[in-house]
Amino acid sequence: MSKRHSLHPGSSSNTAAPPKPPVHLSSSLTIADSTLLAGTHTISLHGETVIHPRARIESHLGRVSVGRKCIVHERAVLGAAPVSSSSAAAAVVRRGGGGDGASGGDGAPAGVTLADYVTVEVAAVIEAGETVVGEGTVVGVGSRVGAGAVIGKHCTLTPHSEIAAGEVVPDSTVVYANGMRRTDKRGVAELKNKTMARQIDMLRRMIPSNPAKFA
Amino acid sequence: MAALTPYTFIQCPCSDSSTLGRPSDANPAANATNDDDEEADEDNRTFDPRAPRSNFSLYPLEYLLYCEDCHQIRCPRCVSEEIASYYCPSCLFEVPSSNLKSEGNRCTRNCFQCPICIGPLAVTSVETKPDPSLLAAPDNAAAPHSGPYALTCSYCHWTSTEAGLKFDRPNNIHAQLTKLRNGGLTRLTARERRERRKDPAYRAHLAAAAAVAVAAASEDVDDVEERGRGPGIEEKESLDVETQFANLKSFYQAQLANPNSSDTGLTGLGDLGFSSPTSLSRIMSIYTGGSLRDKKAKSRVGAMREALDADEGFQPARLDESAAIAALQAHGFDGTSSTAQLAEQPVNIGEPAFPHGQAHFASDLRPVPHLLRTKRSKRCPVCRHIISKPEAKVQTTRFRIRLVAGSYIPSIAIRPLALSPIPNTSSSFSSTSAPIPTSTSASASGPAIPGALLEPLRPAHFVLTFKNPIFESVKITLGAPAHTPGRFSSKVTVLCPEFQIDANTDVWDEALKEGLATTGGGAASGERDPRERRRRRGGTEDGSQSGINPTTQLEVGKIWERGRNWVSIVVEVVPPSLSTLPSGGGDSGLPLQEDEDVLEIPLFVRVEWEAEMGGDEVGSVMPGVGGSKEKGEGREKRELAYWCVLGLGRIRR
Repeated sequence: MSKRHSLHPGSSSNTAAPPKPPVHLSSSLTIADSTLLAGTHTISLHGETVIHPRARIESHLGRVSVGRKCIVHERAVLGAAPVSSSSAAAAVVRRGGGGDGASGGDGAPAGVTLADYVTVEVAAVIEAGETVVGEGTVVGVGSRVGAGAVIGKHCTLTPHSEIAAGEVVPDSTVVYANGMRRTDKRGVAELKNKTMARQIDMLRRMIPSNPAKFA
Repeated sequence: MAALTPYTFIQCPCSDSSTLGRPSDANPAANATNDDDEEADEDNRTFDPRAPRSNFSLYPLEYLLYCEDCHQIRCPRCVSEEIASYYCPSCLFEVPSSNLKSEGNRCTRNCFQCPICIGPLAVTSVETKPDPSLLAAPDNAAAPHSGPYALTCSYCHWTSTEAGLKFDRPNNIHAQLTKLRNGGLTRLTARERRERRKDPAYRAHLAAAAAVAVAAASEDVDDVEERGRGPGIEEKESLDVETQFANLKSFYQAQLANPNSSDTGLTGLGDLGFSSPTSLSRIMSIYTGGSLRDKKAKSRVGAMREALDADEGFQPARLDESAAIAALQAHGFDGTSSTAQLAEQPVNIGEPAFPHGQAHFASDLRPVPHLLRTKRSKRCPVCRHIISKPEAKVQTTRFRIRLVAGSYIPSIAIRPLALSPIPNTSSSFSSTSAPIPTSTSASASGPAIPGALLEPLRPAHFVLTFKNPIFESVKITLGAPAHTPGRFSSKVTVLCPEFQIDANTDVWDEALKEGLATTGGGAASGERDPRERRRRRGGTEDGSQSGINPTTQLEVGKIWERGRNWVSIVVEVVPPSLSTLPSGGGDSGLPLQEDEDVLEIPLFVRVEWEAEMGGDEVGSVMPGVGGSKEKGEGREKRELAYWCVLGLGRIRR
């Protein structure tokens, strides 16, 4: 499912480089040179987060906020346009935020919020529309989080999981095997955070960071 | 609608419809006893590929084996299998069959599956559990693990601590697991149980526990802590199933040994019931057939009493299910174990909460040791010769013996044929050298796309390519019913029902000859080559008609094309109209059934060839299907005949 969307779908008239999205980058951020940031809303990336090359962060529909010590892997998409805009609009309406802003993209916040210690694995897609991913959650390889979904803390989405638009996933849920759910009872959140901090330390040494390109 | 790839299925003769009237008997040896009138009947019968029974007898050629001694096709249903070795699919360790009897059919090493998602389980330390999905830093890997260990699934994040299972050592998990009950209690061996019962401290503890239980039961029935204890029953001791069985067994053995045990108990039932040793021994003698016991039993009078005590194996049934109901209310349906999960679970007796080894809740599921698998050799059921034998070593996938049918009987490939108005000239065929007609398929494919729908009531042509795998030239006779059986009957014409296929030769020989012909081009090779590379349409053996006009090619009785070891013939079919309007009566008014639009034609294939005399021949062969032998000078004539089904395509509705 590695569709290569056009980077700037709205820039048919203007072949020159489109304006950079307003960004708010932490000084301790690691962001690779070939990361793609696009959109019109603010993209804020907080401290010690690692953004891999060729990850894509789009803020066309709303503000994208990535917490501290997150890892966004290659070809992951944050803030992708919802597959079916009606479901995203429904999600926004249901949550009472922004009115009809999600589908129209007319300034109402319909973005993506990642809490701290979130891992977004390779080719995972998180749709825009007030989507929230809780602390310590791992979004597995090729997973898709629908617009307006709220994922709790320390969840695990196994590879190729799908979270429907507007769904609320409780804390410590493991989504596995075509949508089966169970509760993670290991209680290893602290350990996971420690491991992740070590992983980030290593990644910072390996990925050359170039935040100046996006500022 | 999904396009249909043309297919060929072969009916194994073991399920020949001459056995239809009898109970299912896959043994073709029984067929050998058929007499001649049935054989005559066989000649007139058409195999119906749509008969419900045909589902079980049609196989692709790749599934079939061939017995060299019986000269007979063998399908997966008519071979007898023998287990060559048992092994664990996870660790590929071969388990001796002697261990199998004592230790069961599961891997006794550290191979476990997750009871939730069947993923592999890994042993991790409970204290410093690293997340397997993240890269472990090197300093963490070097750190020595200690303390209790648990099995964890890296996929669904189940851990054995959810069932209360922790292990002291990271190795020999299987032995530790058998001694552990859910919740971390130890499961005692028989000797340990006996010793424990003699321990006065344990007895005092039991009495205290019973008192607490009675008190709790009188106060709060729904106390989850007192799960499984019947309120109001004066419970002496809660036994696990193994202890109970051991106690009961010893009690009844003592009862049987003591003839005058009529001291107490259920004598009210009298001598009629099962409580009497006389009736018990009578029942036993019915099953064992022994008359010895009768004499002994005569001397025994009186009745046996039943068990009354926990020491004797008496346990009141636990009818209090309030704990289970409370857990169900707390966790809902998601907390219960599914049928598939239960089926995976090994039998775990000795768990008082679920005495029959059935866990009701997902939290009671235990790690599943891998089921062992087998390597099997296959034998012909008639002559007991081995027709497939894998190598004994688990790691190798090779076979020592494997007589696949594909190397004995001709394969049939199906290709649609488009008769374009201006067909290709034969010059395109004279220069081809590949033994497989790739060039012809390219040139002949006009509108006939493979998998396209067949137009009803319009003749369609298909090229059947028979390829001979054996090193003898074979004569093939085809028989197909003029109208296919079934509700919608197609007209079938096999344009060339009898032909000869040249012997398969060594591929290298062939290649060398080809090279000689193309490079040299001399007169000598030119004389020899036409026999080898004969590839022309409508021609007979002498090759005089090689320049024939291709428009007249669809001649009856002519081969379409031939090559080194293959021959192509043409089959013409006229598909029926699939209109289900009631036109005349019968069952034609019924709606179209599933796959009824697939054009399948039954084809009877009879292969004859001359072969070297074998050694000792097995006499029992099926009439009409087996190899009838006419002895010549070291050569014998063999024949093989079978039905096959050609799936040509779907008919447009």
